[in-house]
Amino acid sequence: QETSFEDGKKYILGGLTVTGLQSYNEQTVVTYTGLRVGQPITIPGDEISAVIKKLWSLELFSNVDMFYTKIEGDKIFLELNITERPTLSKVTVFGVKKRKVEDIINDTDLKKGKKITESLIANTKNYLQNKYKKQGYLNAKVTIATAADTTGTNTQSMVVNVKKGDKVKIRDIVFEGNEKLSDKRLAKSLKNTKKKKLYRFWKKSKYIEDDYKEDLSSLVDAYAERGYRDARILSDTFVKVNDKNIDLKITVEEGDKYYFGDINFVGNSVYTDRQLSQVLGIRKGATYNGVLLKERIADDSKPDGQDLTNLYQNNGYLFSSINPVEVSAVNDTINFEIRIIEGKETFLNHVTVTGNDKTNDHVVFRELRTRPGQRYSKDNIVRSIRELGQLGFFDAEQIVPDIINPDPNAGTVDINYSLVEAGSSQIELQGGFGGGGFIGTLGLSFSNFSLKNIFNGEAYKPVPMGDGQTMALRLQASRTFRVYSLNFSEPWLGGKKPVRFNLSLSRTQQFATSFDDRGRIDRDPDRGFSITGISTGLAKRVQWPDDYFTISHSLSYQLYQFDDFNNGLFNFGNGSSNSLSYTLGISRSSQGPNRIFPLSGSNFEVTAKFTPPYSLFRGKDFKQIREDIDEATDRLFEIGPNSTSPSEQIEFVELSDELERLEEERFKLLEFYKIKFKGDWYTQLVGKLVLRTNAELGFLGSYNNDIGDVPFERFFVGGDGLGNFTLDGRDIIQLRGYENSSLTPFSTNPITGNQERDGGTIYNKFSLELRYPLTLKPSASIYALSFLEAGNAFNNFNEYNPFELKRSAGVGIRIFMPAFGLLGIDFGYGFDSDATPGAVGPNGWETHFIIGQQF
Amino acid sequence: CSEYQKVLKNEEVKPKYDLAQKFYDEGDFKRANRLYEQIVPKYVGKPQGERVMFFFANTYFQLEDYYLSGYQFERFIKSYPKSDKIQEATFLGAKSYYELSPRYSLDQTDTDKALTKLQSFINTYPDSEYFEESNTMAKELTSKKEKKQIEIAKQFNKLGQFNYPILVSAITAFDNFISDNPGSIYREEALYYRIESATSLALNSTENRKKERLEEALDSYNTLLRYYPETEYKKKADDLAKKVQGELAQYSESK
Repeated sequence: QETSFEDGKKYILGGLTVTGLQSYNEQTVVTYTGLRVGQPITIPGDEISAVIKKLWSLELFSNVDMFYTKIEGDKIFLELNITERPTLSKVTVFGVKKRKVEDIINDTDLKKGKKITESLIANTKNYLQNKYKKQGYLNAKVTIATAADTTGTNTQSMVVNVKKGDKVKIRDIVFEGNEKLSDKRLAKSLKNTKKKKLYRFWKKSKYIEDDYKEDLSSLVDAYAERGYRDARILSDTFVKVNDKNIDLKITVEEGDKYYFGDINFVGNSVYTDRQLSQVLGIRKGATYNGVLLKERIADDSKPDGQDLTNLYQNNGYLFSSINPVEVSAVNDTINFEIRIIEGKETFLNHVTVTGNDKTNDHVVFRELRTRPGQRYSKDNIVRSIRELGQLGFFDAEQIVPDIINPDPNAGTVDINYSLVEAGSSQIELQGGFGGGGFIGTLGLSFSNFSLKNIFNGEAYKPVPMGDGQTMALRLQASRTFRVYSLNFSEPWLGGKKPVRFNLSLSRTQQFATSFDDRGRIDRDPDRGFSITGISTGLAKRVQWPDDYFTISHSLSYQLYQFDDFNNGLFNFGNGSSNSLSYTLGISRSSQGPNRIFPLSGSNFEVTAKFTPPYSLFRGKDFKQIREDIDEATDRLFEIGPNSTSPSEQIEFVELSDELERLEEERFKLLEFYKIKFKGDWYTQLVGKLVLRTNAELGFLGSYNNDIGDVPFERFFVGGDGLGNFTLDGRDIIQLRGYENSSLTPFSTNPITGNQERDGGTIYNKFSLELRYPLTLKPSASIYALSFLEAGNAFNNFNEYNPFELKRSAGVGIRIFMPAFGLLGIDFGYGFDSDATPGAVGPNGWETHFIIGQQF
Repeated sequence: CSEYQKVLKNEEVKPKYDLAQKFYDEGDFKRANRLYEQIVPKYVGKPQGERVMFFFANTYFQLEDYYLSGYQFERFIKSYPKSDKIQEATFLGAKSYYELSPRYSLDQTDTDKALTKLQSFINTYPDSEYFEESNTMAKELTSKKEKKQIEIAKQFNKLGQFNYPILVSAITAFDNFISDNPGSIYREEALYYRIESATSLALNSTENRKKERLEEALDSYNTLLRYYPETEYKKKADDLAKKVQGELAQYSESK
């Protein structure tokens, strides 16, 4: 009967019993209701209905009823009658391969203990049927039956019977009524519905209803793009040929071809008609193309497209709307009015950031291109996302700008950027045997460091983070050498301007070794050589020519010290050499949005590194030194180290000492200049298939021909391009398909006459790389690639021939994990012979392991 | 093998319950927590469940694992809304989020959560013994959020000294700060920095907007002095105002 809540009477709950229980404890259900014996209760009232609702929401019961059993004075005794839903005990699937059964059970979540409801059965059935239809099994039938299972209380077992039937293919697609467009043209417009053909193996012929419906509308679009705006599909029939094949018959009505007439703009005050029609780019008399018109007004496929909507959206008109309206048609010419409601010019009000759990606000806000009080611009939002992604502190795939509180009357809008922190520090700790002993390496690289908290104990979680600075420390030691390096960089020096400050200190020590009588390596502490270096730089992002440009300056100094140790870099083993150089770099980087896998943009870099031209003002006669060196060298060559005549032996030693002195004189202050260019272009071909085009070249020169080229800073071409332990500032250039540095030319040692690989002074390299991402998750980004490369290095400018290239091709894969950096493997085939004297024929296959090299 | 290890591996619930209670009373929350963790699911729906769940949540709190204590107290409140411990649980739940609140320059989602919980605690239990503490915590968190907002605005002011258009953003950000946080302790600072931004912007403006902007800068100065006549920024503000007035004087002379 109907009872109104208002008539509710107050009682004291005297007792509550639960009936109909099968597997649950009565106490559990009572506790769950939240009712307590002795509590006041209004009946009828909302307490009871809330309890019933709460129990229903558990989805454990198929029926819930509440009665009162008796009333004693102000006490009321209630009974709760419930019917438990049966639980699933076992699922058996028929008609599917055994190993697929588990997938099905996982997908449909048919776990043991699940409550069986009507909707569960219906959903499972629909899910499976659709799943098979999508794979082309049009006749798939799924039946589900349940039966009581006596092994448990109130359980049921389920039998899922799948009849996949035959895979249905489209035998033929017949078009009728088309005169203006060919059958082939129309078939092409059906993107996902294809008739079966033997040779087309990359797209299977399948009939999937949803795709087909979509394809039909692209068929109409195909007409619309060619001026047939009245074209429509009169009928499409589905003819079953047999169990495995169907035919599709599509009848179209093409209608007449139309042309654009006058296009007038109405409601525009910010832009002139002329400006607007320039962006629209459709002239009077052009073939009518509805798709193009729509694209030029708002291109949904390109968020940064050049269309009218973006013209307004990028310049502060968030609330603008643009509608093309056909105002009249004369014969086959259609006149348009493009009606524009500009709305109020919109300014950003609050700009906020969430999700930065490690990175401080100031690091984020200095990168944002959208700031309070600025005009709204979609373009700036896209740029901000790119800049944030480039930082590498956040997952580039998960940066979401939320437009909040848009207020068309006040013309204001808020933006919140929602970010997800991504780990970006790397730790390297390794030990290994090499060079005759144990080599230990400790490398720490923190890419979001906070220097100001370095003495703040609380900030160590595990290291002070959040100020966007980079700190890298690397120690490598073995019995024969030690390398220490420390690198710090701050991207915004002073926090006011994007001026990157960089400081690095390094010291390398190499000890002379000999083998003791037991064949072990013995270190000679008095002999050896060391390089001590300091380098500091500033790089500034500039606004001109555009704001992707960076200009960098750096100053570096190296001191080479030798103690009775000849390491082959110089022709002297005692003394020292100084190198002070200045590097100017200009680069433009617009690649993005993901740092690991850029989809578009480019990266150019030109650097010029040079030392002061000491020889111009040192007042030394280098010509004389040169001649003395040549003379001594010639004589040494004549005598040879194995001469038996005692006088010649003495002369040899004397001359060698003399030569060392001259060589040290020559290279006391190193002088050279080095110019490098590198360019990378990223082009998105189809979907996420990206082409990386790369070109680079470099040249090392000297100011004074008598001093000649320095033995440092040379180019070594070939191989994986990984810079290992090197002492001499060499540039290692990747060219896969050849052994490491194997494309570097040889030169003849004037004394010994030996062929030595001491590095090229000029090189060029070109490469094309196709990349496709397998996954771009923050935990691991993986992409596959294939490449074509060509390049070569030369001993001097006279030998340089840009067309004498060594070519290669190959495939590879890269995995980027934040904790490990980049790992990869490439297989390359070299089509030409390498630079080893006497090598002929193709170099063949090479395998390259890529570790830690960034991009 | 200690008694604890034995009981930990034991399947039986009762010894665990007793031992957990013992550890809890002794203040060994780490062991108590391990035991409670095992038995909490077994007591769901049972009369002792309420007790177990509260202690379980509290062990996390005592162990300073505030993520889990916040979550467990939340569960407790939801499961036993009529418990005697509800006031304490609500307070400790709110305090857990308070402890989670990070420094001002990071995401303040947990701060917001803590503030909502503290506010609702303050409203529900105005006579609570924790009232004072809750109020202090709420105040601290509120000023932390204000600090966040003003520091961002100040950053715009800083960036703007080299890139003048950013000063417009600084001014908007200070205006937003002043209107969003009426009673803030940073209000005076915001009013002063607004003068700094407005002055720099005005002095570096193009001729056609200069006068208007100079006047706006002067307005900011007047606002600061109206609200805080004895402001600590007086000297600096006066200097800025003098510059502005000097520039403005040229306009009155030329016209």
